[in-house]
Amino acid sequence: MKINKSLFLVILGLFLASAASAQDDHSHGNEPFTAGEFKAGETMLHHVLDTHNWHITDYPVGKNEKGERLYKALEIPLPWLFYSSEYGMQFYLSTEKLLASGHYEVHHEKVYHKGEHDHGHDEHADESHDEHSDEAHDEHTEAEHAHGQGKIYDFSPTKTVVQMILILGILIWVMTRVAKGYKKNVGRAPKGIQSFIEPVILFVRDEIARPYLGEKSARFLPYLLTLFFFIWFSNLFGIMPFNSNIMGNISITFTLALFTFFIVQFNGTKDYWQHIFAMPGVPKPLWLLITPIELFGVFTKPIALMIRLFANIAAGHFMILALVSLIFIMGKGGESLGGALGIMPLSVAFTIFIFCLEVIVGAVQAYVFVLLTAVFLGQALAKHDHH
Amino acid sequence: MMLLELTGTVGMIGAGIGAGLAAVGAGIGIGRIGASSVESIARQPEAAGQVQGAMILMAAFIEGVALFGEVICLLEVLK
Repeated sequence: MKINKSLFLVILGLFLASAASAQDDHSHGNEPFTAGEFKAGETMLHHVLDTHNWHITDYPVGKNEKGERLYKALEIPLPWLFYSSEYGMQFYLSTEKLLASGHYEVHHEKVYHKGEHDHGHDEHADESHDEHSDEAHDEHTEAEHAHGQGKIYDFSPTKTVVQMILILGILIWVMTRVAKGYKKNVGRAPKGIQSFIEPVILFVRDEIARPYLGEKSARFLPYLLTLFFFIWFSNLFGIMPFNSNIMGNISITFTLALFTFFIVQFNGTKDYWQHIFAMPGVPKPLWLLITPIELFGVFTKPIALMIRLFANIAAGHFMILALVSLIFIMGKGGESLGGALGIMPLSVAFTIFIFCLEVIVGAVQAYVFVLLTAVFLGQALAKHDHH
Repeated sequence: MMLLELTGTVGMIGAGIGAGLAAVGAGIGIGRIGASSVESIARQPEAAGQVQGAMILMAAFIEGVALFGEVICLLEVLK
């Protein structure tokens, strides 16, 4: 019992530390850096955005001549893989190696050919850049003319991609074990991880697929189950320490919604298309009004799916980060111990509450995504025999 | 320059009000769904499963619309 309690505390500490360690995510290379002024908004954005390194934590490495504390980032560099129109296919093990090659520069996690990054669009450009901006601009345009517009297509396995592959690996491992369990325990009660997954599969089949898809449910059940487990596992891993939340990335939810969109359109019956382009039982002049609305609805459904999942998961992470940031804001970046200690119990209590809420939200959003996919599919498959 | 700064501030205020209004709308909608579904479960407890399914589906639709509003407000602030 005692071990359990201390284990719980360690895990809780890890959760809070992982939320707090998101404090500074700039790519500094190996140079030590100062903490600088704490900006809650930037910190929160950096935490949810995709990066080319797996940031674990920052650790102190003494002080500089001004007496400010210096930190170094403990992070796993992720490789860069991109196609450059000038140099062909390129592969670098880390951002440092990429910069050391001398051909490229990196701004906001995007790679540019050296001298082709347009500083005019960079809102966060240093003040010193602004002073010489006119001069620099001329040079840039000249350089661009000399090189031509170099194009770079980035295929790098970023943090989100690595996390997704990790979750896919875990899903394959779990599901093959479950499948093997069914072969082994024929006619017997499920065993091990099988007994944990089986009720979820039955829930998706009996509560989602069968009521909305009817006799065709068996055909779409594999897709619905894949969606459900992928979203659910991603959300669970997203709130674990040192993991990245991939459903808080709109490209991932966009891809999932795109799958649903195409599956619904390709399986649409004649009745489905007739209800869009020529609504039966409605005076013909009204079609002019109804058809655009129906056509619009075809696209808004998957867009709503995409935004709902993304916004729910991202908002949860924003809330956790905002609550943790409160400690730093009230503590004035380490100057006011009283302020930090005063707000800490409140902040930690609310953070734990939101973490618990996130566990529920993760499952509910997976359920809602799959449910709505089944509903849209059901509408497309339905055969009407009225009129 | 003054005017530029002012429009930026007004945009921020607008985004804040918009986000709040979207939350109010979603709150009213989901509150009504919750109230009536609890009522119907109380009247007919054996239909609780079906009512819950319908409840979550309806709440998801309302939430979707509210989130459209929130995302537009967020874009206003972040642009």
